[in-house]
Amino acid sequence: MKVLVPVKRVIDYNVKVRVKADGSGVDLANVKMSMNPFDEIAVEEAIRLKEAGKAEEIVVVSIGVKQAQETLRTALAMGADRAILVVAADDVHTDIEPLAVAKILAKVVEEEQPGLVLAGKQAIDNDMNATGQMLSAILGWSQATFASEMGIDGDSAVVTREVDGGLQTIKVKMPAIVTVDLRLNEPRYASLPNIMKAKKKPLDEKTADDYGVDVTPRLEIVKTSEPAARAAGIMVGSVDELVAKLKEAGAV
Amino acid sequence: MDFEISHEQRMLVDTVRGFIKDELAPLEQQVEDSGVLDDATAHAIFEKSSSLGLYGMNIPEQFGGGGLSCLDQMMCEEQFGHTTDILIRRAFGNVYEVLLSCTGAQVDRWLTPAVKGDRVCSIAFTEPGAGSDAAGIKTRAVRKGDKWVLNGMKHYISDGAFSDFFVVTAVTDPEKGHRGISMFLVDKGTPGFSLGRDQQMMGIRGTSHLDLHFDDVELTDANLLGTEGEGLKLALSVLGRVRLAQVSARAVGKSTKILGLTLDYARDRVQFGQPIGDFQMVQQMLADSAMEINATRTALWQTANKIDRGLDPRADISALKVQGGELLDRVVDRAVQIFGGMGFSKDLPIERYYRDARIYRIFDGASEVHRSVVAKTLLKGATDLYDPWSN
Ligand SMILES: Cc1cc2nc3c(=O)[nH]c(=O)nc-3n(C[C@H](O)[C@H](O)[C@H](O)COP(=O)(O)OP(=O)(O)OC[C@H]3O[C@@H](n4cnc5c(N)ncnc54)[C@H](O)[C@@H]3O)c2cc1C
Ligand SMILES: Cc1cc2nc3c(=O)[nH]c(=O)nc-3n(C[C@H](O)[C@H](O)[C@H](O)COP(=O)(O)OP(=O)(O)OC[C@H]3O[C@@H](n4cnc5c(N)ncnc54)[C@H](O)[C@@H]3O)c2cc1C
Repeated sequence: MKVLVPVKRVIDYNVKVRVKADGSGVDLANVKMSMNPFDEIAVEEAIRLKEAGKAEEIVVVSIGVKQAQETLRTALAMGADRAILVVAADDVHTDIEPLAVAKILAKVVEEEQPGLVLAGKQAIDNDMNATGQMLSAILGWSQATFASEMGIDGDSAVVTREVDGGLQTIKVKMPAIVTVDLRLNEPRYASLPNIMKAKKKPLDEKTADDYGVDVTPRLEIVKTSEPAARAAGIMVGSVDELVAKLKEAGAV
Repeated sequence: MDFEISHEQRMLVDTVRGFIKDELAPLEQQVEDSGVLDDATAHAIFEKSSSLGLYGMNIPEQFGGGGLSCLDQMMCEEQFGHTTDILIRRAFGNVYEVLLSCTGAQVDRWLTPAVKGDRVCSIAFTEPGAGSDAAGIKTRAVRKGDKWVLNGMKHYISDGAFSDFFVVTAVTDPEKGHRGISMFLVDKGTPGFSLGRDQQMMGIRGTSHLDLHFDDVELTDANLLGTEGEGLKLALSVLGRVRLAQVSARAVGKSTKILGLTLDYARDRVQFGQPIGDFQMVQQMLADSAMEINATRTALWQTANKIDRGLDPRADISALKVQGGELLDRVVDRAVQIFGGMGFSKDLPIERYYRDARIYRIFDGASEVHRSVVAKTLLKGATDLYDPWSN
């Protein structure tokens, strides 16, 4: 089975985000960019499937600016076999919206015929949580979102999902789309030999036009603003005082 | 000229950084408190780092090492500086490039096992009467038929308790001064070779610093590393990269880590109604540390690049040995100052960083000795040491 893993280049989760002066978005120039952490988990899961003999090939795909090839190389250094870069923007500030990404991914799926698409449940830059679901709708494939555990059982994927009330386990027939949650696994470090090998692994470069997908944004960002600064804390002398203060504030 | 860090270098540093943060940093305090790293833990971290290809990264691939360029190695060594000497030794190895002089059967006996981490090695040059003056050693190897007989002692030998074998300097021809010194590979357990006391030190806890005693130790030519009489020459030609790595690069890493902690403190600590980082005198210390770290790192990368281009920049390395050690000294001293009473207290690791830092100006050649190398090289006319346009 072939596993396709879409990976997104996003602002590194350690970076303190700065809003651009004109409010049009977040400043991404000269900022450390990394693979979306949920996508890292998806890559890790794909590698584990391969190590367990349940997958033969892992193809990673990234849609965005040319620099996303670094994100792909990182996935290759972790252990993916092959990469596809779909250049769909020139400016690092251009975000390709989930629907456009899903449409391009649907075309890639058509070409690659994977048995499983493993995606992050959302990207940490704009938290859309939509691409996997949209891809499922376009392809008419089963979907299992927010996986915290997964296994392959014959031609089905058995996925435990984190839902509000607890855990839910479902079985979906493959080909399917699984989007992964934080607790599924802990991604590995790229080893030195794999970092060296990554530069020799194939990376195909395409454009959005090659797939005939219009990536023009449908959404307009009206305003981006900093979260309100946190008010200073206070020290309380005892548990009783703490409870009293919380009651005062209407918190309990 | 390209100053941009490549994506591969970033991936490598991310791996090393992540490994140190997750696997090594949590062990630091426990080693500091107990003074030892237990064998089981040592083995576990070795296994983990080795499976990631992080052990012996400085050694060429054909000998089983990571095959890093000197520049890439320095970037990793800078990260090593974020943790302690003993944890670096166990996780990433201290595989000295001098072992690359092994020939014939020596390769399988000493070099390969050292690169794999099956056998660990220490350098044993220093004697009570010969520190800076490495040619002033008294340890003597006398040829008797097809044997060598070794007598003498060494001291301060780092990691001696753990190491399996030692690179030992000995006089083989007393008439020839520094051209009469040779290097021998001596296995622990060789009859006549005994371990002496563990010298207690101000810092870098967890590593032993042993006296070694050689009492009629019988060796053969198989133990001779390199050519007879060329021991010091060989040492000088390969120890430069070790100094650059273990002193300059690690000092840059330590300084970087310490400045980060100091900045956090300067932002958070409030006195006189404002963060102490608002006071100009504190700001001066912070700015100076950042400027000096950057200057040293840039010089380090430039010198590493010279080595990668096949040059032998010994005086640059001496300069960086001094710069690194003294950079760390100033940065950590400022950290203690900015942390105030907390910098002196054992509740925080700042005082440990301060104690651990002091040796950087002494071992691997004291500042004075390296400064005189720089000065003598300048006086001989090496203007390129300060003026790249001069030749
Ligand atoms: C923690 C630790 C670990 C060590 N690990 C090892 C090891 O693994 N293997 C090993 O072989 N050695 C090791 N050493 C020894 C170390 O390399 C020596 O301490 C160092 O070379 C200095 O020698 P010394 O201590 O004898 O000082 P000395 O040489 O006695 O120097 C004392 C002072 O005199 C100055 N001085 C000496 N000569 C000159 C000169 N010509 N011009 C100007 N000033 C001069 C020095 O700069 C210094 O300030 C270790 C030492 C320590 C403390
Ligand atoms: C071993 C030891 C023994 C001690 N014994 C006693 C004792 O017996 N009794 C007692 O009462 N106290 C004692 N102290 C406390 C000691 O006096 C304080 O540590 C000292 O006054 C510094 O205060 P601090 O540690 O809170 O540092 P801080 O006041 O937080 O200072 C931190 C840094 O900010 C700088 N800074 C602060 N304000 C300014 C400013 N306005 N302009 C520029 N820079 C500024 C400081 O110079 C310092 O570098 C002791 C401390 C130690 C470590």
